[in-house]
Amino acid sequence: MTLTSRGGWWPALCTTTVGAVLAVYVLLVASNWIYLGWHDTLYFFSKSRMWERFWLTVWTATVSTSFSLIIGIPAGYALSRFRFPCRHLFATIIDLPIVVSPAVVGAFLFGITTRFPFDWISEHYTIYIGRNVYGVLLVQFTVTAAFCARLMKATFDMIPVKFEMVSNSLGASPARTFFKVILPMAKNGIIASMIVVWARAAAEWEGLMLFVGATEGKTDIMPFAIYLDWNGGMMGWVTSMSIVCILMAVSAISAMKWIGGRSNVW
Amino acid sequence: MSGKRRSRSLFNLFFTCFAGLLFFYSAYLFLSNLDQLFVDQAAVETREIIEVWGEDREIMNEFGGGFWKDAYFWKSLNLTFAITVLTTFIAAVLGIPAAYGLSRYKIPGKSFIDVLFSSLMVMPGSVIGICLIVMFNYGPLWKLQQALGFKFAHSIFPGMVIASLVLSFAFGMSAWKAAFDSVNPRFEQIARSLGSNRYRAFRTVTLPLAKSGIVAGIILAWTRAMAEFSAVLFFCGTFRELPPSRFSDLTKMLQMDQADWVSVAVWAQVEFGNVEYGFALAFVLVLVGGISVYAMHRIGAKGYVW
Repeated sequence: MTLTSRGGWWPALCTTTVGAVLAVYVLLVASNWIYLGWHDTLYFFSKSRMWERFWLTVWTATVSTSFSLIIGIPAGYALSRFRFPCRHLFATIIDLPIVVSPAVVGAFLFGITTRFPFDWISEHYTIYIGRNVYGVLLVQFTVTAAFCARLMKATFDMIPVKFEMVSNSLGASPARTFFKVILPMAKNGIIASMIVVWARAAAEWEGLMLFVGATEGKTDIMPFAIYLDWNGGMMGWVTSMSIVCILMAVSAISAMKWIGGRSNVW
Repeated sequence: MSGKRRSRSLFNLFFTCFAGLLFFYSAYLFLSNLDQLFVDQAAVETREIIEVWGEDREIMNEFGGGFWKDAYFWKSLNLTFAITVLTTFIAAVLGIPAAYGLSRYKIPGKSFIDVLFSSLMVMPGSVIGICLIVMFNYGPLWKLQQALGFKFAHSIFPGMVIASLVLSFAFGMSAWKAAFDSVNPRFEQIARSLGSNRYRAFRTVTLPLAKSGIVAGIILAWTRAMAEFSAVLFFCGTFRELPPSRFSDLTKMLQMDQADWVSVAVWAQVEFGNVEYGFALAFVLVLVGGISVYAMHRIGAKGYVW
């Protein structure tokens, strides 16, 4: 009985593939540090321009995440529990903004902002949605709302329908069941999804290229500022901001795993 | 009794409204732009003023920028489909064994791997692009490329494949891992106790059981490769204006020369002022994305969250 006849090469192949792929990805993520070095990283981190952009990213992502959650949690529940005709088609249309390239979504936002609800809003409330921070929020909302609904659907799918039926049979109203039984059970999942949605909102930039454009200090959230500084040839800013973005993404995902998002959903 | 039923239907209506809101927002977003394909009078007048467009003006004033007459349109589609299929193939060849290994075997640092690949999915595309360009052009791999006399960045064949592979592989692997996780390892153990070796147990037992998940993962990897924008923009750039001598005979034979990645082409055309043409390309992407997501929903893909 040699190693080959027992098929021992197969686990070896699998493990080697994992190792090789991991090495490439670690090199990819760490390449910015290797290029910039410790001393320069600290220099760029001490600049206020970096932190202004960081806070801009944080607050826009937080606002758009809260809007997405308001729509995403009930929509995710509806998608998870109710059965209606053509629901695959329905879910496909909802998923479209996250599935087509975000740059294309940015182009499509041009058309929608000159039409009914938006032109009415800008006329009556003098809120112009376009080349300002409201445009940033709209782009982030468009991409994360569908994403949020999808994550919430996955969260509610994990909770067995049995509990709702028991609660209903004991005389609780559907609303009471939702708030007292389902939401407490889904709490961890919702918080975990919330963090991921926030990270996704903070990572959105392609839509801004066509739809919003750049105003220094107003609409250049961090991923977009990377593109702008890359065009300006400011390699130090580019790599140091990439490091901040990588740290943001990694810490958001670590928090999500720590709270208990399941990895196979994600 | 009827009051209870009414409260139930009110409750259902309340939640369905939110899903409906998302549905109408998304449908409206894409349908309201259909008229961007048609040329309006203002655009025609603007094009008269600007000298740069020269004789391109006439074709630009047709429906959809006259996209069906332009070789660039078909070449770009050809290029993108070919490269994404190649990317998906490479992702599947590397990703299925890797996902199986992560799902079944004891590998140290599994939670680290999990966090790394999950965080790639919420990393900005520009960061992925910058990481690629720094890794290949500013980092340790630059010397290797010089020794080989061969460039990875700003090229069609390895460049675009590398740029689209990064995220396509990460998404595909998470889907394949979920597919293998959902198969009970006991079946495989039984097959092995009956005398088949490890590879045969995988091929004849686990692989057929995880088939639908694997197909969904392949569709997901392909869709993600199609949706790639920033990594390709940063790592490869655009090719339309390059001289023909810059392209190899193989790319010319395969009709891939002087063509761009479709989503990059959308951006380039809209920025150039050829809005109708850009939207014609954009609707192709929407159609392709819609069909592949519909397929994923029908298969009932697990582990797929964008």
